[in-house]
Amino acid sequence: MSVNGDAASSGDVLLRVDNLVKHFPVQSTSLFRRSKDAVHAVDGVSLEIRRGETLGLVGETGCGKSTLARCIMRLYDVTSGRIEFDGRDITRLGSGPMREVRRDMQMIFQDPYGSLNPRRRVGSIIGDPFSIHGLGDGQDRKRRVQELMELVGLNPEHYNRFPAEFSGGQRQRIGVARALALRPKLIVCDEPVSALDVSIQAQIINLLGDLQDEFNLTYIFIAHDLSVVEHVSDRVAVMYLGKVGELGGVDGVYNHPRHPYTNALLSAVPVPDPDRSRERERIILVGDVPSPVAPPSGCRFHPRCPKAKQRCVTDVPELIPRLDDPPTHVAACHFPVADGENIADSRPEISAEERVVEGGLVGNV
Amino acid sequence: MSVGDPEIVVSAASAGVGSVDAPAPELAAAKIQGRSPWRLAYERLRSDRAAVICALVIVLIVLMAIFAPLFRLMTGHPPNHQYFDTGLSLDGQPRSPNGTFWLGTDDVGRDVLVRIAYGARVSLIVGVVATFLTVSIGTIVGLAAGYFGKIVDTILARIIDVMLSIPFLLFAIALASIFSQASWNQGFWFLPAGLPIVIIVLAIFSWSSVARIVRGQVLSIREREYVEAARAMGAGPWRIMIIDILPNVIAPIIVYTTLLIPVSIVGEATLSYLSVGVQPPTADWGQMISDAQGNYHAWWFLVFPSLALLVTTLAFNIFGDGVRDAFDPRSGRMFK
Repeated sequence: MSVNGDAASSGDVLLRVDNLVKHFPVQSTSLFRRSKDAVHAVDGVSLEIRRGETLGLVGETGCGKSTLARCIMRLYDVTSGRIEFDGRDITRLGSGPMREVRRDMQMIFQDPYGSLNPRRRVGSIIGDPFSIHGLGDGQDRKRRVQELMELVGLNPEHYNRFPAEFSGGQRQRIGVARALALRPKLIVCDEPVSALDVSIQAQIINLLGDLQDEFNLTYIFIAHDLSVVEHVSDRVAVMYLGKVGELGGVDGVYNHPRHPYTNALLSAVPVPDPDRSRERERIILVGDVPSPVAPPSGCRFHPRCPKAKQRCVTDVPELIPRLDDPPTHVAACHFPVADGENIADSRPEISAEERVVEGGLVGNV
Repeated sequence: MSVGDPEIVVSAASAGVGSVDAPAPELAAAKIQGRSPWRLAYERLRSDRAAVICALVIVLIVLMAIFAPLFRLMTGHPPNHQYFDTGLSLDGQPRSPNGTFWLGTDDVGRDVLVRIAYGARVSLIVGVVATFLTVSIGTIVGLAAGYFGKIVDTILARIIDVMLSIPFLLFAIALASIFSQASWNQGFWFLPAGLPIVIIVLAIFSWSSVARIVRGQVLSIREREYVEAARAMGAGPWRIMIIDILPNVIAPIIVYTTLLIPVSIVGEATLSYLSVGVQPPTADWGQMISDAQGNYHAWWFLVFPSLALLVTTLAFNIFGDGVRDAFDPRSGRMFK
């Protein structure tokens, strides 16, 4: 599953994100407003996505996953940094040329109820990409829409129905069909299964997998469910407070997690074996994610990190290979977790005011 | 709405998940045509008895306006003819309802019934044209303010605030008197003299409330994922406004329109009552009420035009409530 180093050096990169920053100004709503605070939603993220692979993007709510996706889709204007898609710099592309690019990048949204216009028939929703880009005429469009519906497992006869007449899973299939209409190169899936029943999740994930094989699609797959990401992704990026904490192939990240945050996330994944589950020591993080308006100095994870030392407060860790990892597996941590190390028992070695209010960060269950 | 009413139960069930009411597979295959939110609203409206009755009353009033010449034929009285001998008593007072003048005569001997029928034309024209103008301006401004936001919104919001703080009657009387002699105000097409300025004044003073409603709706709809999806597909601002946002604000617009028609009718009657509206001798309810005030004992002269105005506005208002309930079945009714 995991992609090794030579693919990275080859020129087959579809999307390159370089030091991307997105700040949202915190506004006061007076007539003459001035803003000096900003939410640091995405703060210097660099990624590469290769043709045909799936990059999983995981992290807690509010870590900037969706903002990153929307910046890549150019739904938000980026504050700084660079986005290169298919060899073309699209960071500041005007709306005209951007329309062309949008044919090749599509998005699947989280909420199957909110992402379909309730006042429009399913046929015209799926046909939107054709009408927006002026492709085909009435009959031709209808035929292509019905083909798409069949492709994603919907009854083409339901062309004339409204979104309210479909279940959540069927609605998500409509969203998939719409994203697929123009045969894009990249599809950004923003938590495409989080709003669905577990039984339906598998169907949608399998559908996405089949379509990837058939059309050689590239996915950015955002989720907070680690087991889903492990299943679908070739590589995984773990985000925390607007930064990438760890990035690498699925095998590397899941079997040799270097960042304490990755370790904490993985220890929270439910294990289907109750004996193993009881033996396992969970790493409990204390406190909430700090405010992205004023992110912590140094390593952003240090107020909650069980391994934090003084250096974590002052120095920003680089995203580089740690210990004896291959160059494709990088982590942003001064004191990476070695294989077999149990960080559930470690205690931070920083002053109390640098930590979150509750003090003792780590507890065992 | 009573729960026991079978029609309502059916439409409520289909409003939730459409496939629930499919009884058998072969029947479901025949029923594949989707039921639009419009159709559901229409079905709910049809099961609302008060709204249906009011719709019938409105249809009757519209028919009365269209076929006003029929009243003239039936009675043989033109609306502006003054019957000094038969229409007035010997001492020059209006005549009470009788065989010739079914609803009596006014202070100069004109037939009240025929004038009420012709007056319905003015009221309905104003109700429809002024409301249409109001809603058009309000929708365009509200859409622009809500969608573009930022500086456009700030400027338009300030203009709306200014409009809402101008005293209506004072300004309306001033405008109507200033332009009463203007050439475009002397009547054209189906608009009698004095009516164009009334329509303009009513539109100027009501578009801001429509714009506010539309703006608020657009602000919330703009953030929905399907609008984001449209932008991700490369749709431009006009396409998003017209195809993705407008259909979702049209329901509150329609509701507000039906409630705005009676407001416009009353507004016109008010201006005509203050004799800055429709120019005499055109028959008009507001003016008839105003003229009747000097004749205390001629009750019919005051009561019948007032009744016409009351019934019309009441019918539109209750119908408007029904439309609102039909489009938004979750909102509670004011009166059971």
